[in-house]
Amino acid sequence: MTMHGASGGPTSSALYDAATDAFRRWRAGDDSALDELVRMMSPVLWHVVRATGLDREAAEDVVQNSWLTLVRSGDSVRDPQAITRWLCTAARREAWRVSKAATRTRPVEDDVIDARLPAQSSPEGQVVEDDQKAALWRALGRLPERCQKLLRIVAWEPRPDYSSVAEGLDMPIGSIGPTRRRCLDKLRVELGGAS
Amino acid sequence: MTPTDEELLQSVAELYAEIDPAPDDLPDGVLARLAVEGLEIEYELLTLVERVDVNAGTRGPVDTGTTGTVGLEFAGSEYRVLVRISSDDGGRRVDGWVVPAVPMRVFLGPEGDAVAAQAPQTAYSDYDGRFEFSAPMSGEVRLWLLPQGSGEGQVAPLVTPPFRV
Repeated sequence: MTMHGASGGPTSSALYDAATDAFRRWRAGDDSALDELVRMMSPVLWHVVRATGLDREAAEDVVQNSWLTLVRSGDSVRDPQAITRWLCTAARREAWRVSKAATRTRPVEDDVIDARLPAQSSPEGQVVEDDQKAALWRALGRLPERCQKLLRIVAWEPRPDYSSVAEGLDMPIGSIGPTRRRCLDKLRVELGGAS
Repeated sequence: MTPTDEELLQSVAELYAEIDPAPDDLPDGVLARLAVEGLEIEYELLTLVERVDVNAGTRGPVDTGTTGTVGLEFAGSEYRVLVRISSDDGGRRVDGWVVPAVPMRVFLGPEGDAVAAQAPQTAYSDYDGRFEFSAPMSGEVRLWLLPQGSGEGQVAPLVTPPFRV
């Protein structure tokens, strides 16, 4: 189950430690540390943002804007340990905002399809050949859209700011935890049925 | 064997990393935006060297609000940037070429330093050096051009003086 690409794994505390360290150095005046932080965290923010259903182009803009926000208001991040959470939350809030503005002018089907299908026209979509992965992909596809989004969120950020998640998914904040549990259970059932 | 929550979520993350990977140039794009913001890198200010008005209707100082085409040529120490602003009843567009051709990330934004604060439009020049904005913002704008894929500080980013769309 281990592989490259997740670069140590999104849930690895090594990433969070490295981000905290880079942020500290940047705040202390080391400009190159910001480069490091950007290279380290941008892929994570990508998944945080894409989980909201934004298309790739819009997602890229949102990621960029999140960094601009950080650079402009770095002072407001009091606790360096909170930097990853701060970034993810800023990115998510902006993504929901953009996403909601966009869905007013766009058929909902696009979002749903995007969320369910591997990008078939792209080479990336064909990567899902591995049996285990293909099974996981199919199992995810059978979950309600809300589950898919929530699981993608918590897969990349194990302890997200629940209020920003609740707001985007139109759920009461108190139901995020139980829903997360239920979605994971459903996924396990789907996986069991598929094997 | 039943996977734990952590294992399951780790697999989900890995799956998404594989099927929907972040673009390779995502961090470069971010750093480019920060550069445009003027926080990190100095950019070279190009000079307007030529302006050609091909106007269907009126003559004189061109307000491209009607039908017409304006060609602008900007030059710097290493690059020239040609810009064509065309408009007809329906809309406007901006086409540009970078000479010599190199892939660049191009931002079109309102005049001023804090371009990034005002949501600039983004395009890429291709290997022919061509880029386009099919629905450009109007008013006084600038183009910021950031060479892609170069190591830090190899080629300075470029910025045009303000011009009117």
